[in-house]
Amino acid sequence: MALSDTRESELLRVKVTAGVMLLALGVLAAVLWRVQVARAPDYRSSLYRQSVRRVRLPAIRGAIRDRYGRMLADNRPSYCIAVYVEELRRPGRIERTIDAVEDVIRSVSGIVNLPREVDRDEIERHIRMRRPLPLLIWKDIGPAALARWCESDVHLAGVDIYVEPVRAYPHGALASHVLGYVGRAEPANGEAGGAYHYYLPEMEGKYGVEKTYNAVLAGEAGGRLLRVDASGFKHGEIGEREPAAGRDLFLTLDVRIQRLLEETLGDIRGAAVVLDPRNGDVLALASRPDFDPSDFSPAIAPDAWRRLTTDPGQPFFNRAITGTYAPGSTFKPVVSLAALENDRAGGDTVFGCPGYFEVGGVRFHCWRRSGHGKLAMREALEQSCNAYFCQLGLQCGYERIYHMAEALGLGRETGIDLPSEAAGLLPNSAWKERYRGDSWRAGDTCNASIGQGALAFTPVQMAMFAATLANGGTVYRPRVRLVPGRAGDVCNVMHWAPETLAVVRGGMRDVVMAPHGTGRRAYVEGVVMAGKTGTAEHGPREARRKYGWMILFAPYEAPRFAVAMVVEDAVSGGTTVAPRLHALMEGIFGDESGPVQEGRG
Amino acid sequence: MRRAEHAWRLLRGLSWPMFGITLLLSALGVLFVYSACYASVEGTMRALYRRQLLWAGVGLAAYLGFAAFDYRRLRRLTWWIYAGSLLLLVLVLLIGTEISGARRWLMVFGIGLQPSELAKLAVVLALARKLSRPGESLGGFGALAGVLALVLAPMILIIQQPDLGTAMVFLPAAFVMMFAAGVPLRSLLVLLAAGSCAVGVFLGSLFLPARLGVSEEGQARIISAVGLRPYHRDRIEAFFNPERDPLNAGWNKMQSEIAVGSGGVWGKGYLKGTQNILGFLPRKVAPTDFIYSVIAEETGFVGSTVVLVLFGGLLVLGARTACAARDKMGRLVCAGITATLFVHVFVNIAMTVGIMPITGLPLPLLSYGGTFMVVTMASLGIIQSVHIRSHMYPHGF
Repeated sequence: MALSDTRESELLRVKVTAGVMLLALGVLAAVLWRVQVARAPDYRSSLYRQSVRRVRLPAIRGAIRDRYGRMLADNRPSYCIAVYVEELRRPGRIERTIDAVEDVIRSVSGIVNLPREVDRDEIERHIRMRRPLPLLIWKDIGPAALARWCESDVHLAGVDIYVEPVRAYPHGALASHVLGYVGRAEPANGEAGGAYHYYLPEMEGKYGVEKTYNAVLAGEAGGRLLRVDASGFKHGEIGEREPAAGRDLFLTLDVRIQRLLEETLGDIRGAAVVLDPRNGDVLALASRPDFDPSDFSPAIAPDAWRRLTTDPGQPFFNRAITGTYAPGSTFKPVVSLAALENDRAGGDTVFGCPGYFEVGGVRFHCWRRSGHGKLAMREALEQSCNAYFCQLGLQCGYERIYHMAEALGLGRETGIDLPSEAAGLLPNSAWKERYRGDSWRAGDTCNASIGQGALAFTPVQMAMFAATLANGGTVYRPRVRLVPGRAGDVCNVMHWAPETLAVVRGGMRDVVMAPHGTGRRAYVEGVVMAGKTGTAEHGPREARRKYGWMILFAPYEAPRFAVAMVVEDAVSGGTTVAPRLHALMEGIFGDESGPVQEGRG
Repeated sequence: MRRAEHAWRLLRGLSWPMFGITLLLSALGVLFVYSACYASVEGTMRALYRRQLLWAGVGLAAYLGFAAFDYRRLRRLTWWIYAGSLLLLVLVLLIGTEISGARRWLMVFGIGLQPSELAKLAVVLALARKLSRPGESLGGFGALAGVLALVLAPMILIIQQPDLGTAMVFLPAAFVMMFAAGVPLRSLLVLLAAGSCAVGVFLGSLFLPARLGVSEEGQARIISAVGLRPYHRDRIEAFFNPERDPLNAGWNKMQSEIAVGSGGVWGKGYLKGTQNILGFLPRKVAPTDFIYSVIAEETGFVGSTVVLVLFGGLLVLGARTACAARDKMGRLVCAGITATLFVHVFVNIAMTVGIMPITGLPLPLLSYGGTFMVVTMASLGIIQSVHIRSHMYPHGF
């Protein structure tokens, strides 16, 4: 009996033990429920966070075309040889994986016959920093190397061709100061709170319209979700949002005129702008010296960069919009306009020219030392008589000249859609008192009336002035982006009297058309043109240098072209610039069978 | 003729549910060891499931062998087994292969043998024999001291390896056996109190010196004086504060929890556990200590509960066999083996889901590991043997 009792109590103890064990397993089941059911979303999101990497995919950059759709900037495929590190990884220390990559590079080097470009440090940096991405061991390989690679029957795991778009400029240096160039974009830090883990190289406009219209051209970057394993190597792709390619940008440029303009400029230092006076479209804009934007993609070589940046001619300096030059005699039509419009003079106002004009003890020489004798305004414009315009300027008063120039947009940014435009300088008495500590004197008025002194304008401002004279008084903002059907951006409308225009335009017509006009060398058979030359002296007295200028518009009755050109270190406007405009206009009008035809009428 | 009849009686007495669950769990073990390793870079890891299959086969043979063998004849072998396993434990300290700072394996013909696993069974058998001796006064001090000596001898040797986790398994198993053997509750309470004091000393030695500003060196000396290692402190700290050191001690715990949690209700599907494939769950421990994470990630709450229920079934059947045993030795052997099994299951799963510190105890029948697999199968075979004998001789021997 006692034995049985003991046995019963021992069995009870076993049962109690079993019960406690089952209870403990029940607790585990409850914990499992909490972890796997109640809090599963939390764990899933931490799983996602630790295993997914977002890679930003740059969009294909839009092309740049001229007004007729001709290609100015495009993308070409650049073939690279890429190593997919995750396929070469070795267990253990990272050095073993680096060794594997080095072995592959050696093998590929033998096949494509290229010296290796990526050193061990770069491989290590890539594996440490950009592990899930392909490592490009040769970038932009030539067709020969590409052919050798494609024809070799050696199969290497983890190596493949990788195609990258690279910016290409089919016309080389043509219009480089308008197009600009692209360079590696810095990862946008603020973008969506640093939403990406990795960035692929992306180009952004650094200069020219590539910069001003970067937003249009760049498109919208996409993204790729990579799943990585615990060591950060790529394991697979989860998803991708396709980047939206950038839009094509149409420019107002006409490749034919641009090429003519650059040819006529030649190797000098200078700049020129051709506008359509009916709307402000920039048909051509050139600055010399220039550069080849293709050199910048995929990346500019350090020595090429050094050469360009240390060149005394400053090839990155866009003289057409950033260079400021004293306008010289090309400013004289402004004086005429101010005097005529304010009734301070008429077309028949006559002044005498003995070869100089003296005011306040300073003698202003006329370029013709022998003097022009008595002349009226139109002839004074034709002959560009300094003595006449000194007297006209004094008679008119500088305030009026200043207001006229200001209304025409001189000495102020035109607002052209290109980066880093300069304002130039249109001085007045306040400016002189502030910066020179002196009051405005009659001599200053004389100096300004012949486009000298502190006056400094950009070629694009002078082209805009020529366009305003050409279209009879509407100041259009110059623009390089073509928006079909869009009228010009009107900055100002001058309500000039017909008689005023007749005198000024007539005088400028004679500059080119009259047998002894100062701009006669620009004359082109069969085209009536009007222009004004200018020669501005600058620099210290013992080392005088001259800016040669000419502004021009044509055809005279219904102008379609307004030009301004400046040449640094010219003999004079009439001898240095006029022949160049002759070549330009002969080219433009000589062969109008091209797309320019459309503009007529 | 007699032999055939004997075999038939053995088969009739076999507990099919117990056998079925054992087979099912070991088959799951092979499947999930494969899943845990198939994405590994190393070929030996990828082939691990084949070795697990082989070990399961050896284990099955041991299971059937011990089931057929009359457990009562083990009584005479008990001290030989116990002494042999102690000898092996001493040998492993002397000539064992050192892997990451611990000597746990004896290499025999190229096969790694873990004497500590063998010792678990040996201690259960030895205790069962000692506690079931007729006329043994269980409440006396002398008897308790003898029991404690039997348990502590292998424990101390295992702690020297060092392998604290395995050593600790002996205490609850021995406690359960003493409880089942009818040791008076008062004596058990005294033991519990003593044990708590010991735990207090251990924890105190781990954490107090740091609090009191003792130098790193001094701390290490104090910790090793009580037979512990500084990494025990790190693991316990990692348990309470996994974010503090997420790359070392905290990493496994964190990743295991993410694996289990991200499995959700239905799991990600077999071979689709990303935590495991991507190696966030470290590949070294995924097929061994953290096999349950792999199962939980791939089969979700449903699958992990099924595994729990299977183990629960095994425990209930083990307890029932204990109750049905015709002799005290059989009952205590069953209780001890069931308790050892339970401790492994509970501690391993609790560690996997993050409610206990990482101890490195494998999950019976599922985790990769040759010695443990064979010893577990042999132990379950002994329970089966007790079951068969209780049916062959329904009215006592």
